[in-house]
Amino acid sequence: MSEPRSHEGVGARLPRKEDDRLMRGRGQFIADIRMAGMQDVAFVRSPLAHARIRAIHVPDDLKGRVFTAADLDGVKPIRAVSGLPGFKVSEQPVLATGKVRQVGELIAMCVADTRAEAEDMAARVELDLEELPALHDMLDARKPGAALVHEHWGDNVFLESLVNINIEAAFDAPVKISRTISTARQCMAPIEGRGTVVHFDHRSDQLVVHTASQMPHIVRSGLSECLGLEEGQIRIISPDVGGGFGYKAILLSEDVCLGWLTRKIGRPVRWLEDRREHLTASANCREHHYEITLYAERDGTLRGIDCEASVDSGAYSAYPFSACLEAAQVASILPGPYDFPAYRCRTWSVATNKCPILPYRGVARTGVCFALEVALDALAAELGLAPEVVRLKNLVRPEQMPFDNITNKHFDSGNYPEALRQALDAIKADAVRTRQLAGEPDGRRIGLGLSIYCEQAAHGTSVYSGWGIPMVPGHEQAGARLTPDGGLELRIGAHSHGQGLETTLAQVAHEILGMPVARTRLVHGDTAMTPYSTGSWGSRVMVMAGGAVATACTELSERIRRIGAHMLQARPEDVRLEAGRVIGPSGDVTIQQVAHTWYRRPQDLPADVDPHGLEVTAGYKPVRDSGTFSYAAHAVVVAVDPDLGEVEILDYAIVEDGGTLVNPMVVDGQIIGGLAQGIGTALYEEMAFDASGQPLASTLADYLLPGAPEVPMPFIGHMETPSPYTKFGVKGIGEGGAIAPPAAIANAINDALRPLGAEMLRSPVTPRRIVEQVLAVRAGERSAA
Amino acid sequence: MTASPRPETIAMGASRMISLTLNGRPVTAEAEGRTNLADFVRDTLNFTGTHLGCEHGVCGACTILVDGEPARACLSFAGACQGADVVTIEGLDDDPVTTELRAAFNREHALQCGFCTPGMLVSARDLVLRLPEADETRIRLGLAGNLCRCTGYAGIVKAVASVIAARRAQGIGPMTADRPLGPVGARAGGAVSAAQPASVAITALPSSVTTSLAEDFTPAHSFEQSFEVPFPPAEVFAFFGRIEEVAACLPGAVIDAMPSPENVQGGMRVKLGPIATTFRGSARIGRDDATTSGTIHGAGADGRSRTEGLIRYRVTDGAAPGTARVVLDVGYTLKGPLAQFGRPGLVREVAGRLIAEFAANLEARLSGSEAPPAEARGLDPLKLLISLVSDCLGRLWRRGGPTS
Amino acid sequence: MKPAPFRIERPRTIADAVALLASGGDGAKVMAGGQSLGPMLNLRLATPDLIVDLSGIDALRSMREEAGHMVYGALVTHADVEDGRAPDVGANILRRVAGGIAYRAVRNRGTMGGSLSHADPAADWVNALSVLGAEVEIAGPAGTRRLAMGAFLAGALATALEPGEILVSVRVPKVPATARFGYVKHCRKVGEFAHAIGAVLIDPTTGTGRALMGAIDAPPLVFADAATLFGGQIDAGFATRFDASAADAALAAAGMADAVDRHVHVEVLRRAATQAASLFTDTRSAA
Repeated sequence: MSEPRSHEGVGARLPRKEDDRLMRGRGQFIADIRMAGMQDVAFVRSPLAHARIRAIHVPDDLKGRVFTAADLDGVKPIRAVSGLPGFKVSEQPVLATGKVRQVGELIAMCVADTRAEAEDMAARVELDLEELPALHDMLDARKPGAALVHEHWGDNVFLESLVNINIEAAFDAPVKISRTISTARQCMAPIEGRGTVVHFDHRSDQLVVHTASQMPHIVRSGLSECLGLEEGQIRIISPDVGGGFGYKAILLSEDVCLGWLTRKIGRPVRWLEDRREHLTASANCREHHYEITLYAERDGTLRGIDCEASVDSGAYSAYPFSACLEAAQVASILPGPYDFPAYRCRTWSVATNKCPILPYRGVARTGVCFALEVALDALAAELGLAPEVVRLKNLVRPEQMPFDNITNKHFDSGNYPEALRQALDAIKADAVRTRQLAGEPDGRRIGLGLSIYCEQAAHGTSVYSGWGIPMVPGHEQAGARLTPDGGLELRIGAHSHGQGLETTLAQVAHEILGMPVARTRLVHGDTAMTPYSTGSWGSRVMVMAGGAVATACTELSERIRRIGAHMLQARPEDVRLEAGRVIGPSGDVTIQQVAHTWYRRPQDLPADVDPHGLEVTAGYKPVRDSGTFSYAAHAVVVAVDPDLGEVEILDYAIVEDGGTLVNPMVVDGQIIGGLAQGIGTALYEEMAFDASGQPLASTLADYLLPGAPEVPMPFIGHMETPSPYTKFGVKGIGEGGAIAPPAAIANAINDALRPLGAEMLRSPVTPRRIVEQVLAVRAGERSAA
Repeated sequence: MTASPRPETIAMGASRMISLTLNGRPVTAEAEGRTNLADFVRDTLNFTGTHLGCEHGVCGACTILVDGEPARACLSFAGACQGADVVTIEGLDDDPVTTELRAAFNREHALQCGFCTPGMLVSARDLVLRLPEADETRIRLGLAGNLCRCTGYAGIVKAVASVIAARRAQGIGPMTADRPLGPVGARAGGAVSAAQPASVAITALPSSVTTSLAEDFTPAHSFEQSFEVPFPPAEVFAFFGRIEEVAACLPGAVIDAMPSPENVQGGMRVKLGPIATTFRGSARIGRDDATTSGTIHGAGADGRSRTEGLIRYRVTDGAAPGTARVVLDVGYTLKGPLAQFGRPGLVREVAGRLIAEFAANLEARLSGSEAPPAEARGLDPLKLLISLVSDCLGRLWRRGGPTS
Repeated sequence: MKPAPFRIERPRTIADAVALLASGGDGAKVMAGGQSLGPMLNLRLATPDLIVDLSGIDALRSMREEAGHMVYGALVTHADVEDGRAPDVGANILRRVAGGIAYRAVRNRGTMGGSLSHADPAADWVNALSVLGAEVEIAGPAGTRRLAMGAFLAGALATALEPGEILVSVRVPKVPATARFGYVKHCRKVGEFAHAIGAVLIDPTTGTGRALMGAIDAPPLVFADAATLFGGQIDAGFATRFDASAADAALAAAGMADAVDRHVHVEVLRRAATQAASLFTDTRSAA
């Protein structure tokens, strides 16, 4: 691991600046914002998954405080249109018109002094709904004759795609295995839900929207489209945000409704999502279904992969990522970190009567990794090979880097086989397998599972332009300004909500300017005060905003140096900026002195001084914008109780490569946090629906999130292969932790249960599913005997 | 304040002032009966460090100290905490243990977004004080009631362990206060009432989903019951034609109107523990004389949930001559919050009991006797319900009348 | 997620509580610690007009010892038992059950009486106190009465409490030192409601025992004479003779149609027996 060059710069394991206010209850989250005269909003939501609205009866005494679609003059539906050929457009009315297409869809908006009273009002609004057949199963929804979510489409497919690279060449392979693999619908479940506080500021003629958002600038664009306001008439402020994970990267109908409402009633209005709304009405993600076939040689060499993948996209296309967010990526990323010659993948983004599918940490990658890595273990078992043998046969080798894979993904750098070998060492694979043979005294069964992935992150214009969604990242910009007293202000258009950017971007600045981290402040999350950015998503911020901050600080350092040179009466080429001082041949001045001179004593500067001063906005793109490829190998040991289906994680090892690490402590935090979410995907989290499209988990007693006892203390090993394309060689790693665990854990469970004949191919692997399979196999053996 | 030996009043609009100690200072402020401590400290008193994450006691973000012990602010109604000693995260600024924990949390990267952190610190402080011998496993168990979605808990567990280890090294033992039996925060002195706000319109009989009967209804859950009665099948089948009498056998069912012999309008009061609701709607009656069978197909809605049910009955010859065998096949589907309440097994159990009761009442009526007294039948879970239905419906009607 | 409006009353005496309840009719609901009722209020699943909060009644915040019994006031909390403030009926019997209920912050307010009155089939006290042969003492408009747990638990979330009645205390037989107690619950994660509970109270010296299978969406299935589960006889080696088919048959007879569910419940009971036989050694599944 590289040594940090200073105790505060790139590579330093620096404690975070943002912690103190949060630990004292002085963070300012969306629910903490107070405004005089503020009103609370509760929504009347559809209790049915699919129904025609015949009438909405608002009691007379509530008129003027309850609003329906008929009231929303001038408000346009949310449209998130992909430019991919064949994409079918859904329009999501912000309050339902004509039909409701999912449980929880907004029908009316009730405004009162308190949320409790607004809910009282909502309970009195009467709905006359004609129930329609509901689609709760994406495979059924694809069948001819299925009910239609959007009638004018003629079917229920947002988008179908096909990639075929010479798959026929694989058909003569000696070994072929096929599996049906699926991941459950999940909820992102940040501990803080969504929320929006909106008022109209007449002085600036602006709609001021405080909203818990990962991407304030994109929310502004979306609101502008829906409300018919100029973008300049909208200011978005994202305060402290209690976890995002993708859910807060979406424009919600509620945001639009409140944007209209505050002008209608002339008062600040607030909506705070509660947990039932979160679970049943909005925050849905994942839910993939795969029919996957692997073709291979007997030594494990992959000849080809053939796959049909469906993603349940729900009822509407969410802004800005669109309804093909997941499925459109599946085909291009399914090959994972492997090198093989033939490939076919057909995908469907299917509309159903469920919440729109939204991004969640690891977007598409978690499902893809689950499908491929679980199938690879099935192949290894079929061949009688250890799972690492099959992987090592096929992983892209370090000498092939940079490597363009079968779908033209450009792997920038790394040593994938080495990560796997290190993970096997860390988990003590040999000892585990010896123990496995010996058996456990308590009757449980031990299993070892592996998975490995590479994650395209911080990918930019060239990747997204083809997708054609409402946002395509270009150059990322950052501002850097010295204050008159010599402090540093950084401005970014992305948002920090747990990633620690207030600290890590200050580390980046320190690396260049030598400015103490304590004297650097980050301004973020406010469209009025920051450069445009598509925001915090796609594991991109350290690469993009970090690169932009570095670029801005580099320019700023030049200007500091030139002014310092003048103060030192030296030629600019003879001075250098080091540790916060401009050092010349015969003396030095501090950055503080330079700032003081520029702002307070301009009379001391020469007439021909660079007029741009000590404030820089700079733009940045990596040398290539095809993305960084961080990667990791995960190895896990589980103990499975075959009679109760209980799974205990005994040991967990991760060897990852995120390129150069700006703050290894923060990186470890991202990895372990991702691991916990991956464990949730693997074992606990599932938003189930009944046949009428009713979501079956409306509380956290039913939607199980892993707690401290369910998450192990993992070993984390770092490899640091710098990306050749980015500033400092950093790679995006924010999501990776959540990608590999479901596959690794399922593989470990399958390793444990293989002698019993059970194989788990569906996440989450619940006790019930394990026992069902174990008993089914036992019953089969009894009847065969 | 002076404790009153008896409640002053039970009238609406009684005192709504809540007095308690918040972060060491006495405070008095108004609260509705339904206001929980979290909303009270956040919205009324403007201490926003206490966060609401789930409002049903699972996530732990709202954990605060009540009488010195961790408690869920979302499940503690202000009106039930009269006189309590409440400390929120803002009150722990100078607390020595919390100060140690903050340093450790910062060092071990035990927070990311920081939303769960106030509640996490309150629980961590309790662990440090109460369980100085706790190892990693025990610490994890002790933190199980505080969900964190960011950190994966590693930094939190390390931070708590390090504070425990440091205190152990200093020879500091468990520090637990003497406390009386009973829930923390509950003082005997607080004999007051907290009322409904006078201005609130009571949600009398919300009936927000108008119902209709699906032509091809397939129930999600179904039960079969059968029994024999000592009457000829024809007589029994005729009984099923008298819908008022059949309805009288179904606990909680009331008939409001019969616009035609095939159509009934009415309501059904059902209770699932503290959950009590009335589904109002209509039913369609079908009879087939040839097969001595029939259907009662009903659908109803309360404020937010709706249900559809189908009773199929068939009357055949019994085992002995002159007796009849009745086969009941009862199915239902629930939609809305009741369906989304994740304990379908409990709902099924209650529905099963309801149907068993229906069958027993049918049998009793067919046999010519009134429903046997509860004592004779031993335990009757539905007796209470039956006795309350008329009362309760009457009250609801008085209060607001049906809204449709 | 805010409750529908209701009024809270905090009576000081049991008699006042009974009177308030009677006056409130079906719209009145008793609350003790509020840890089960609270979520249902917040979710507006329960919408009472009146909450009669018992937590200010001193008489319920006490306990007493009688010959052969401990009598816990309804307001004794899970934490009171966990911490030993409320003495146990035997060596680490109730205490370890209490320590496994939900989470500490819940245990500090959640009460034994409230949990029993809520009668969730998956709740720990409902099951542990059933196998221990506890009785509840009830006060109401017509005076007081006592019911065995089996008579008190009427169904899922249903009890034999009449209108106006409240549970005032729980009378639990002491467990002799020779007896063995096993209590195992099957949860997907710590603090979650159990999906299966198995419990046994076995005294090999007297050859007697009780057993229970709980969290079956209905009141627990209690074996007043556990010998049927152990080949008709209870002695030191009882656990090795656990008769899974007898347990399975009992579940089937109770209406549990699903074979996977039955298997899990039987297995959990087997482990409770094994745990009891191995002298209170905790197993993984014990909370």
